Amino acid sequence: MSTKHSKAAARFIANRKQEAWHDETLWMVRAKRDKMSHSLPEWERLRELACDIKLYTNSHLDTLLEEFEKNALANGAIVHWAKDAAEHNAIVLNILQQHKAHTLIKSKSMLTEECGMNEFLQEKGYDIIESDLGERILQWMDLHPSHIVMPAIHIKRQEVGEMMERVLGTEKGNADPTYLTHAVRKDMREKFLTADVAMTGANFAVASTGEIVVCTNEGNADMGTSFPPVHIATFGMEKIVPNRESLGVFTRLLARSGTGQPITSYTSHYCNPKEGGEFHIIIVDNGRSDILARPDHIRTLNCIRCGECMNTCPVYRRTGGYSYTYFIPGPIGINLGMLKDPVKYSDNVSACSLCLSCSNVCPVKVDLGEQIYRWRQDLDKIGRASSEKKLMSGGMKFLMERPKLFNTALKFAPLVNKMPRFMVYNGLNAWGKGRELPVFAKESFNEMWKNNKIK
Amino acid sequence: MSTKNDILSAIRSHTGKRYNMPELTLDAITYDDKIAQFSEALEAAGGKAVVLQAGEDVNDVIRRHFPDATRIASNLSGITCATFNPDELADSRELDNTDLSIVEGHFGVAENGAVWITRQVRHKALYFISDSLVLLVDKEALVNNMHEAYKQTENMVYDFGAFISGPSKTADIEQALVFGAHGPVGVLVILK
Repeated sequence: MSTKHSKAAARFIANRKQEAWHDETLWMVRAKRDKMSHSLPEWERLRELACDIKLYTNSHLDTLLEEFEKNALANGAIVHWAKDAAEHNAIVLNILQQHKAHTLIKSKSMLTEECGMNEFLQEKGYDIIESDLGERILQWMDLHPSHIVMPAIHIKRQEVGEMMERVLGTEKGNADPTYLTHAVRKDMREKFLTADVAMTGANFAVASTGEIVVCTNEGNADMGTSFPPVHIATFGMEKIVPNRESLGVFTRLLARSGTGQPITSYTSHYCNPKEGGEFHIIIVDNGRSDILARPDHIRTLNCIRCGECMNTCPVYRRTGGYSYTYFIPGPIGINLGMLKDPVKYSDNVSACSLCLSCSNVCPVKVDLGEQIYRWRQDLDKIGRASSEKKLMSGGMKFLMERPKLFNTALKFAPLVNKMPRFMVYNGLNAWGKGRELPVFAKESFNEMWKNNKIK
Repeated sequence: MSTKNDILSAIRSHTGKRYNMPELTLDAITYDDKIAQFSEALEAAGGKAVVLQAGEDVNDVIRRHFPDATRIASNLSGITCATFNPDELADSRELDNTDLSIVEGHFGVAENGAVWITRQVRHKALYFISDSLVLLVDKEALVNNMHEAYKQTENMVYDFGAFISGPSKTADIEQALVFGAHGPVGVLVILK
């Protein structure tokens, strides 16, 4: 029964204090989200609209992307199309080469993470600077995000402080978040002023105007794009929205869901290149058009990457982002991983209790838990079903189909209560790991019924 | 060009049911006292709103809130407390070490304390680079929510626009809230 997820989770859980902190902190964010959503009587209507707009956009990507391109070109932007990660990275490399650039300052983008862009460019000798504080911390520690919105949520302030002593020469033993944040601010200021090219992702791309919208709290995307003459914005094609009017719906949901704020500090709209500069926009497919052909999973394209499904997930909260094998963890990551490569990422589908909390809070109504359930039904087809579970359900089926045998087995079940511990709690019984088994009743329901004990 | 066509033809061949665009109708929240709600939301975001009183000079209000600011940028004609006009700088990098920037916003949003700006200065950096930012907004120009806000932007033409709700902030270290991650540590909105 040990999947890669459960093994990695065991390592995370080994630090009980850290696990409890992680769980409580993310639940606090979830509670903030509840407060925000309850303050708006129209909350459920907003979710409905957001879902319906996304179903519209994702079933009209052909026309909307062309409309976007036409308007972006009219704004003076240069539009690129990338089929996959390799094409995406080659486009960025080409722009850097054209401008004889050496440093690229970027804001947070799960898409560049998906494309492995930083590693690709670093190998070629480019200096890639992540400007989001959490991402910068991870970059210094040579780590990847463990959460899509709070990328360094798994790291303690002491670890950050110790690392910054080495890379920035901060005071020894000082782990005060304000002190450390402002030390990075000072260091980053110089990087903002001297970078050759700026790069951002996009939260939304507006078809009717050709503009892209980037939401941050730190203002790092805005600072990053303020100085270099060249701005590259990259987005997965499901980020398209039809018009500004629909942004009214999404901007009200995004931060309320993700971090429990009514809006991010900055919701920035980029239309034109700056005077004498260039504005490149990359539209990326990388498997998204394949998802369109799978009606059962099409709603994953609704996702606006708010991260709320992670905050609410009891498994994510208690096992951390690194327990998952896909680069996006949590309920949405389980699904996106399976869509990317079901054989490779099937270890994650067990990281779900099917409580459906994710489906209930998702601002764009992705049926996350239901889809995970469907993937589990298919595991046997792709040869990834757990052999232990198959054996067990095979045994159960055998018993259930034979009432006499079933009743006899039940009669003897209470014997387990008296068995020595080592016979019950061992490697063969996954249900006995980390928990006590319930005591078997002396009498079965059937017997009680027959003996008139139940009325 | 061929990549674009490949992507579009993959989209066309994989798209199944085509859903209609919904009517964006909803009863969005409104507030009896938009100024009070705006101020409360902005404060929660780490900023501050003040209403300019009759007969009060906006420069006095700014001075009172930022007594230590020495390098003050503004291209607005009525802002006499500014020490330089940022539009006269050829290079946006020269804006570094600005204590205070004073700019105008088009309108504020009551539900979240955000102010909508479009670039009205030479260097967009001005909105982000100074230690503190003052946004001047007409107090009659508050809208209730983001639906009304985007309706207001419908006919606006801009190369860069942004909703700014309070100062730059982060909670990336242990979810501890810190102001001034990269941009302004403080934001004051003066409702005129």
